[in-house]
Amino acid sequence: MTEYGTDPVAVITGAASGIGAACAERLRDGGWRIAAIDLRDSDADLAVTADVRDRAAVTAAVDEAAARFGRIDLAVTAAGYYEEGIDIADISHGQWDRMLAVILGGTVNTFAAVLPHMLARGEGSIVAISSELALAGSATDLHYVAAKGAVLGLVKSLAMEVAQTAIRVNAVAPGPTDTPLLAPDSLWREPAYLATLPLGRLVTPGEIASAVYYLATEGSMYCGEVLSPNAGAVI
Amino acid sequence: MPADGTGRPAAGAFADTTPDHRRPGPRVALVTGAAQGLGRVTALRLAAEGFAVAVNDIAADERLTGLATELGGLAVPADISAPEAAPAIARAVADALGRVDVLVANAAAMAMSPFPGADMDQWWHQIDVNLTGHFRLIQAVLPGMRAAGHGRIVIITSGWGVIGHPNATAYAASKAGLIALTKGLGRELGPQGILTNAIAPSFIDTPQLRVDADDAGITLEEMRQRYREQIPVRRLATPEDIAGAVAFLAGPGGSAMIGQILQPNGGVTRTRA
Repeated sequence: MTEYGTDPVAVITGAASGIGAACAERLRDGGWRIAAIDLRDSDADLAVTADVRDRAAVTAAVDEAAARFGRIDLAVTAAGYYEEGIDIADISHGQWDRMLAVILGGTVNTFAAVLPHMLARGEGSIVAISSELALAGSATDLHYVAAKGAVLGLVKSLAMEVAQTAIRVNAVAPGPTDTPLLAPDSLWREPAYLATLPLGRLVTPGEIASAVYYLATEGSMYCGEVLSPNAGAVI
Repeated sequence: MPADGTGRPAAGAFADTTPDHRRPGPRVALVTGAAQGLGRVTALRLAAEGFAVAVNDIAADERLTGLATELGGLAVPADISAPEAAPAIARAVADALGRVDVLVANAAAMAMSPFPGADMDQWWHQIDVNLTGHFRLIQAVLPGMRAAGHGRIVIITSGWGVIGHPNATAYAASKAGLIALTKGLGRELGPQGILTNAIAPSFIDTPQLRVDADDAGITLEEMRQRYREQIPVRRLATPEDIAGAVAFLAGPGGSAMIGQILQPNGGVTRTRA
């Protein structure tokens, strides 16, 4: 059996695919234990199948991770989904409520669940995955953009609230990233769009994970900041 | 790497934007203002990351040559505000180590004075070193980066360039100029695989603190405490914190960062002054 308690531990929501999975892989390479919270199972050290909208389920998963591994050093909130190409007039109340509940509610639920454990140790790092659309806006998909923007307000405020502890709260705002959230026919994959990016290509999940890893391992002077590995989408 | 007529290299043409954190990145780094403090620690960090490192500062003294020896690198002393300095530096580095893959624009001049009595010589000195000196140095290393089809430019700006500061208008203007330079170069050079980003530190625990303390007529520890009270996280950055940001931007993990201003300043630029 592996001895737990010395390796750093990360709780990652949405860890079964896309950016969350890339973060799990990067952190595992760096010697971290991973507790995954996702609707789907994964090969994490602890994989909890739960919906981030469910505060009690998220809290139970985080408490189980803390009990199992003895500590929580990092939380990455990557759970989310995207609905592309919907004009504001066409966003239903149901679509709006669900988007806010998953992205904003899921982030709040995770923050609330990990914070007591971090406060007890007096240290920790929280990295929320936002979006470059939250910085620049978007002509469509306003519900997604609003939710990701609200995450930034949450991050900046919690960062200030815990500033005088050694708990750091920051965000990463990816540019258009090559994950299953972008459909094969997504406009973000169009060569004409990609040609507008200084880097000329989509961001990879691994590049987002590198920014998260940097914040988690060397980010103790970042307080409410937003890192933007976005291929130049927003400068 | 020859352009294909669109100004954009073929996919995969430049290895250092390949997003794999395990791959080695570029190999030769040039750090200005490296004789002490942040520049010195950054040079040491990049050497530890496997870079061959050339170190520049204004004086060819033991601090600089000793550091170059310690790194197994090259000392290229010069006043970067002199027009002839930049091409000479680039040539010396190319001859000894090879073309510059990573430029860390760290050298800076600072003079505090109230604006109404601001001295024009002091104004131009700060602009000439901080902004124009690095403009010229970027020009000088750019042909090598363009020929290689990759490069990283990491500019050390300042939190004061973001939010301003009383009695530091010239310094803040020069650093704000560097922020605009970062964004412009990010957009212009990004398509060629050359990634430009900046770091905006605020209070760092370096030998400059001793100067500040002497100016204020207080002890070093009192100076540290006075600065801490202005930082939301109540901790001064270490040079290592900032060198870590340089290593991230210069390394394989920074391959999607373009035109960004990192602010590892403990929240200083987030507070309402």
